[in-house]
Amino acid sequence: MNRKNQDQLFTELLRNDFVGKPDQSVEDRLMYSFMLKNSRSKLRQNSFSSFLGWIFSVQGLGLKTGLVSVVLFFSLFNNQLNFESSGTIGLDSISNQRTLLADSAQFIQSLDSIHKDSLY
Amino acid sequence: MANLKKIGELIFRRKNRDYSDSELMKQIAVGDQAAFGELYHRYKDRMYYYFYRMLGNSDEQTNDFLQELFLKLIEKPESYSSSFPFKTWLYSVANNMCKNEYRRRNVRQEYEDFESAQPKLDYLSETCIEPEQIIEKIFATLDDLGEEHRSAFLLRYREGFSIKEVAEILELPEGTVKSRLFYAKKLLAGKLDYLKNEIEF
Repeated sequence: MNRKNQDQLFTELLRNDFVGKPDQSVEDRLMYSFMLKNSRSKLRQNSFSSFLGWIFSVQGLGLKTGLVSVVLFFSLFNNQLNFESSGTIGLDSISNQRTLLADSAQFIQSLDSIHKDSLY
Repeated sequence: MANLKKIGELIFRRKNRDYSDSELMKQIAVGDQAAFGELYHRYKDRMYYYFYRMLGNSDEQTNDFLQELFLKLIEKPESYSSSFPFKTWLYSVANNMCKNEYRRRNVRQEYEDFESAQPKLDYLSETCIEPEQIIEKIFATLDDLGEEHRSAFLLRYREGFSIKEVAEILELPEGTVKSRLFYAKKLLAGKLDYLKNEIEF
């Protein structure tokens, strides 16, 4: 018997060997585990946790520093960049507006003056 | 109407069974449960057999290992790289699980040996013809050589992997795999009368 037949013999013996089938409960448990994992990941997808996690992690530090620099630049220089060309900068007392508040003492005073007037 | 639906399904939607193992793994990574079901059905019997023969013929333990193997696949599908054949990768994961189990058993065995020495049964002295008995004798003989020889033997002759693939799975040089197979066959022929008459070395 040659080498080929020797290998064939082992192959035939082993391939015809049957030891049973896996338990159905294994598949059920695996499917349940898959479902659980899916639900967990879907929950994560609908939350900000991953975004917040990214913000407070050390990942992408360059990008985050760049973004912060841009935001700071615009917030600091925004007022200086945003001015009207025709307007003059300075104080003008005429244009000062005083806030007018109702003063009940004045009302009483004016009522008294009305009464006085009536006497005359 | 039903026929039209069927045709539409055929044209626009491939069924999971049409996908390769690697494609199914990609779908599993994005949470496709049907893809996982398909992959499980493709490999469950083979992996069951592998674990059963590697771990000493225990149904309960085989089911546990099968479950653990596929749980790894669920939990970390990204650990599979599509640049490797899925089948080879799956067997290498299974083989590593068996290695860990053997290591654990060895530690336990050392303790048990110390406690009580049991006489070993000789399964190989009688001559037999029934294929089931031959198989049992083959695996009993392979026990003497250790799990490395058993795994190489199973992968080569049961699963039909090439020597190169077996070497990849076991993370060994091809020469080592060849020598392990050679010694396994030699031992089998030496111990089994039936095989001795059938096999030439």
